[in-house]
Amino acid sequence: MSNKQQHPNLLTQGVFIFVYLAVLTALEFFVAVTFNSVVILVAVALVKAALVLWYYMHVNKLSESDESNHEAYAYKSGTNRLGLWLFLVSDSFVFGGLMVMRLSLLGMTRPDLSQTLGFFVTAVLLISSFFMNRGEVELHNGNRQGFLRNTMVTFVLGLFFLLGVILVEWHTVPAIAEPILHLFGEPEGKPLLKASSGPAGAAFFMMTGMHAFHVLTGLILLLIIWVNGKKGLYDEKQYPVEAAAVYWHFIDVVWIFFYPALYLIGTAV
Amino acid sequence: MKNNSLGRAFLLLVIAGAIGYGIGLGIDFSIRGELKLSASVPSAFALLFSFTAFFFGLYGYRGITRGLVFQVVGTVIGAALVTGIRALMGLESIGAFLFTEPAWVFGALVGVISFFFGVGVMTDWVKWARGIDTPDHHEDEPGWQKYFGVSLDHKVIGIQYTVTALFLLAVGGTFALIFRTELAASGLDFLTLDLDVFNQNGPQLYNTLMSLHGMIMIVSILLGISGIMNYVVPLLVGAHDMAFPRMNAFAYWVAVPASVLLLLALILGGFDTGWTGYPPLSSRAPLGVQMFFLGVFTAGWSSILGALNVIATVVRMRARGMTAMRMPILVWASVATSIIALTATQLIGLSFQLVMFQRLFGMGFFDPGKGGNPVLFQHLFWFYSHPAVYVFVLPGLGVISELLPVFVRKPLFGYRWVAMSSLGIALVGFVVWAHHMFTSGMNEYLRVPFMYSTMLVAVPTGVKFFSWVATMWGGKIETPTPMLFVLGSIVVFLLGGVTGPPNAMVALDLHLHDTYWVVGHFHDTIFGGFVFPFFAAIYYWFPKATGRKMNEFWGKVHFWLMTPSFFALTLGMMFIGLRGMRRRIVDYDPALGFDGAHLFLTVCAFLIAISILIFFINFFRSIKHGEPATGNTWNSRSPEWQVPSPMPAHNYEVPFEVVGEPYDYGLPGSKFVEFAAKTAGKH
Ligand code: HEM
Ligand SMILES: [Cu+2]
Repeated sequence: MSNKQQHPNLLTQGVFIFVYLAVLTALEFFVAVTFNSVVILVAVALVKAALVLWYYMHVNKLSESDESNHEAYAYKSGTNRLGLWLFLVSDSFVFGGLMVMRLSLLGMTRPDLSQTLGFFVTAVLLISSFFMNRGEVELHNGNRQGFLRNTMVTFVLGLFFLLGVILVEWHTVPAIAEPILHLFGEPEGKPLLKASSGPAGAAFFMMTGMHAFHVLTGLILLLIIWVNGKKGLYDEKQYPVEAAAVYWHFIDVVWIFFYPALYLIGTAV
Repeated sequence: MKNNSLGRAFLLLVIAGAIGYGIGLGIDFSIRGELKLSASVPSAFALLFSFTAFFFGLYGYRGITRGLVFQVVGTVIGAALVTGIRALMGLESIGAFLFTEPAWVFGALVGVISFFFGVGVMTDWVKWARGIDTPDHHEDEPGWQKYFGVSLDHKVIGIQYTVTALFLLAVGGTFALIFRTELAASGLDFLTLDLDVFNQNGPQLYNTLMSLHGMIMIVSILLGISGIMNYVVPLLVGAHDMAFPRMNAFAYWVAVPASVLLLLALILGGFDTGWTGYPPLSSRAPLGVQMFFLGVFTAGWSSILGALNVIATVVRMRARGMTAMRMPILVWASVATSIIALTATQLIGLSFQLVMFQRLFGMGFFDPGKGGNPVLFQHLFWFYSHPAVYVFVLPGLGVISELLPVFVRKPLFGYRWVAMSSLGIALVGFVVWAHHMFTSGMNEYLRVPFMYSTMLVAVPTGVKFFSWVATMWGGKIETPTPMLFVLGSIVVFLLGGVTGPPNAMVALDLHLHDTYWVVGHFHDTIFGGFVFPFFAAIYYWFPKATGRKMNEFWGKVHFWLMTPSFFALTLGMMFIGLRGMRRRIVDYDPALGFDGAHLFLTVCAFLIAISILIFFINFFRSIKHGEPATGNTWNSRSPEWQVPSPMPAHNYEVPFEVVGEPYDYGLPGSKFVEFAAKTAGKH
């Protein structure tokens, strides 16, 4: 492994990327609440996605392969990596279709939701991606405890995001949702967004629902690598951890586009 | 296959069917309070019980039998769960089909997932999740038994796909014969209004059969091309298996519960939307439409995961020396197909899912009353379903290019152009979908760009035709059965191809749309692009799989009976279509004067059915009684024919290296592959 000595740098790099992402997210929010330029919002989302794809998901690893021995673990991992990325490409078409649906039904309007709450859950998911990256790098560096700790933090943040969407945003348990929504500045007695009430509700529940389903599967993968990591696996064969991490970041990339689509662009209806 | 186990299987099928029917009847009676023999619930029970018992008799309680048992139990548990929750919430808990619609949908979903665990495709993955390693290869049991359980061998899976595709072809074909009979004369009314089977009267049943014919055939095609690609692609590229053998098995086994759901759609009230399932009709159709949506959604995963595997296999597992421009054309075609299947399939899944949710949760995606837009459905749907036609035909066109040089003993003309044309068709195919929507009320400014993009497809398709003609030009054409089907494909696909551009002309299509003209057109493309090449591929690679040849005489009878009947059928369809025959209707006005033509078409349809029956008998007889053929039966240059048939479990015992062009037939001294052992001293 020739790039072993670079790994400490990767930890610092992860921090830098996170700072960029955080600044961009704040910028996005600011643009949305002030002059709401769709062009800027789309551009920011593209930059954020590119950062995650390149630095957290290592899309460039796809092109490196060791052609010599087809039975070697490295070669097989390369094949698995290609398989995973092909799956993500396929999955993107679902989310792309949902985006088309949203744009077609809602155009330049958006569901009337608390923008601050949206910002908050987005931040939670973004931070989870940061810890995921850290966990992966720690494992490469041979620091199993660090890997387990960071993966657990990722898991908890992911769970937090999922519960935030399902319990609060979906208003499934009013006793929990009401006080939190209030905290985020939602006026009392505001009419609830319902799946069956109109295009905004339909689009919102469908998009967050499909995303939440992916978060759920991602959480299951995180749990699997955490438990197996605790058992002492992944000393040599680390591809499963990479796969779970890439999948987790992919969920974040989807949200990088869904967040402005649902919370930021256009005017609330 | 042992005769006594087959006999036992059929006996159990009848007994279990009767028992299931009796149970269903009892349940139905207790809800309805009257005895109704042709109701849905008893028939559904009879279907599921008899299927399961049949495989039990054949194979015992494992593999597919266990999967089906799990599916049935899972469905009932899932449905009961929803029913219980609904009862607690004070909602209606019993529906016309025993369970309510949400209960059926959830139950069906649980049933599909249960099937995977029952059949055993999840076993290794569950172990991996628990941190347990499993061996790379699993040894299959010898004999026919391995086909009824999970096997990781791509050749076994390829045959499983092929046989399932043939089964669905027979089912969909039977449906077609039923509704073709209804059309034989105007006012025939053999499916009468007082008929009451599966909660449907005669005309409703007509619609259900017509709709299911379409979708079952499409699923059959998807499985058929997967069969060809699975069996042949790893052999052509020199891999010992597909890149992801477990996912390969999974992709196949997904198709089985999906097929069960499609059959359930017929029994649970049917649906009248055609295979396209457009809302608003599909948001009001009977329960069957939900089973249809879920079945298609599930089958779609088979296609997506299979495609992923093909791409990964071709990218990562090619033999030494097989550069991109030395890959066999069928491999190129498989990659092009897989690119479409991998991506676009998600959109039909999504569009169907949205209608399901619209029905279940009142989400108004396509309901104008709730601010939705029905035309949006058509865009999402056709974004897959037009490219899908290239998924259907590209492997078939690849088979034509693959086999033609073998039987004319000449190099393939314009290799590079043919290789690229598959990709070209696939890519242009992504931007033509709205040609199905010229009459839909979509924005008018979209019509002209889609008209031109559609016409553009003719360019890469034309490249293929030029190549085929030039390859045949001056060749020594031999015509054993596979070659007959190849020649048939070319002619039939040509007819399909030249009848396409008129549909692409907006001004013409406004008149042609939804007439029998279109029906004739697409049957030509599908037969030319899939059915004929599929048969060619089966006749051609049968010896590779079994070590025996299919009977030549009956193969020729099959061809010479099917081809003229098929021409007469589609030309007849186009003829009445141009004169105003509408598609998707159960009866027509005798004043149109189409009675004679329709009777003729029905006769043609039966002749085709007879020819395919002959094929089936030939197929199953030849497995045991065919003429032995263990060598290079067709005198091919392709690597799989350089080793004895049937192919051993892990393919090539010694790897080969590609040292020349794939199709240089007739060029003295040219070589395509060299096997390592033979050249050991050379390097
Ligand atoms: C390559 C194989 C092809 C297949 C498998 C195929 C299949 C089909 C199918 C299934 C339909 C019926 C749509 C419906 O439900 O109404 C259809 C219609 C149509 N086809 Fe093709 N097609 C093929 C090639 C072409 C080509 C080469 C063209 C034009 C250059 C074309 C143009 C059209 C158009 C415009 C329609 C719409 C007609 C209408 O709905 O009124 N097709 N095709
Ligand atoms: Cu089309």
